[in-house]
Amino acid sequence: MIFGLPLERAWHFRDLIRVILGRELASRFRGSALGWIWAVVSPLIMMAAYTVLFSGVVTLSRSSAHQSLGTRSLLIFSGITVFNFFAELLYRAPGLLHEHASFIKKSIFPSETLAWIAVLRAFVYAAISFGVLVVFKLILTWQLPWTIILVPFLVVPLIMFVLGAVWFLTALGTFTRDVVHLMATIVPLFMFITPVFYSFTDVPVDVRPWWRLNIVGDYIDLFRDAVLYGTVNAASLTLYGICFAVSYVVFRLGYAFFMQYKAVMVDVI
Amino acid sequence: MSSEVVIRCRNVGKAFQLYARREDQLRQALFGFWRRYYKQHWVLHDISFEVRRGERFGIVGRNGTGKTTLLQILCGITKPTHGSVEVKGRVAPILALGAGFDLELSGRENVLIGGAILGLSSKQTSQRMQSIRDFADIGEYFDQPIKLYSSGMGARLAFAICAHVDADILIIDEALSVGDQAFQAKCEAFIADFAKHGTLLIVSHALGYLEQICDRVLWIDGGHVQESGEPHEVLADYVEEMTGVPPADGKPHKVRRKG
Repeated sequence: MIFGLPLERAWHFRDLIRVILGRELASRFRGSALGWIWAVVSPLIMMAAYTVLFSGVVTLSRSSAHQSLGTRSLLIFSGITVFNFFAELLYRAPGLLHEHASFIKKSIFPSETLAWIAVLRAFVYAAISFGVLVVFKLILTWQLPWTIILVPFLVVPLIMFVLGAVWFLTALGTFTRDVVHLMATIVPLFMFITPVFYSFTDVPVDVRPWWRLNIVGDYIDLFRDAVLYGTVNAASLTLYGICFAVSYVVFRLGYAFFMQYKAVMVDVI
Repeated sequence: MSSEVVIRCRNVGKAFQLYARREDQLRQALFGFWRRYYKQHWVLHDISFEVRRGERFGIVGRNGTGKTTLLQILCGITKPTHGSVEVKGRVAPILALGAGFDLELSGRENVLIGGAILGLSSKQTSQRMQSIRDFADIGEYFDQPIKLYSSGMGARLAFAICAHVDADILIIDEALSVGDQAFQAKCEAFIADFAKHGTLLIVSHALGYLEQICDRVLWIDGGHVQESGEPHEVLADYVEEMTGVPPADGKPHKVRRKG
């Protein structure tokens, strides 16, 4: 099997993953009056705020001058949808084992499944956000590009990439709490060098190759092509191929790193 | 007894990593392949023993002597630094101070998770839910978050789960001591029944109970096997060492193997 051992292990523990994921999703909004509506409302509020900010108050992108308000808010919302998926996990991964310390120290718990649970949970919120985006796009433009059916092909390498990153950060974060603070510092900075509020074409031509090194930005770019613009061409397919390969490597290396230190982590947590 | 060996522990040693500074842990994780940033603190040395199917095997020793670490190794929670462990069959551990519970979740939800950890499908766990609830016998607390439980209730739930997972090997670490008489009686009845087909490994300071239930007892001191064998003899020597007084039945003092 191409994805090998990590996937086999996850499949073996699918019931465990499903049970804990189900409980985490149910308990996240337990005790809140609006419950699940928050999952829809909070990205909407963020989008509204950023749209107002970057259209009226600050002019960030060069192309924004001749963009309609609707186009710009779709651009921002699609960027936030993908970026939040990463950001939430980057914040959470370093403390993931501490969150579940009692499972890990006191039962025969396959700790590598925690990354799956965290990623799937964040993915559920991203999917809700995506649903809102599609509805929003339909309301504004009355059309969807056919390329939207390609989104699942983006999701596969995207999830592999985050899983690998979560495994790596979880292992590091278990050894030192500094990683939590590091992430709290890096992620907001990272947001500005990622085309979240602007599009890739707003980046000056001479620094674009450097921007391409940011795989999160590449995924946002591909995501916008598929969902908003319907532009799939040779260039985007090449980019997709590269992203897939890099993500696969991150996935396997992250898993290997985690498993290497899995036994030691129980002793230091 | 000629039945199959289900637990084989060979020269097991365990060292914890002690770090002088907090940041050394990170250095170890990143550069551990090339250099060592920690001191080793040995808690178990060269532990070897075998347990056969159907045996009731007790472990005694003073506090901080490595009993819990040994059980964690047998369960696969942590790995030995050297030596090897082979365990055949499904292990259900009931470790001290409650099993791995998520304190925010209810007892029912923790049963689903606990069942899944121990290898039941969620369908199997759901089918056994009522029986587990009856066994734990904690009333309405079953649907309350674990953080509201007393330690006795936690132990009841942990035991109830492990009693329902069709384990081949039951590992019990001091879990019974926090239960009240009624629950202890229930557990003892279950254990007696379980021992007819399963293998039992039990750590306890209730020496009378160990002597009554076990076929064999292992005494660990300072991370070494001090003595192993017939419960009556081993426990008598252990009591003598602990209290400095030979037991009342005046068994002659035995020369023991040290470290």
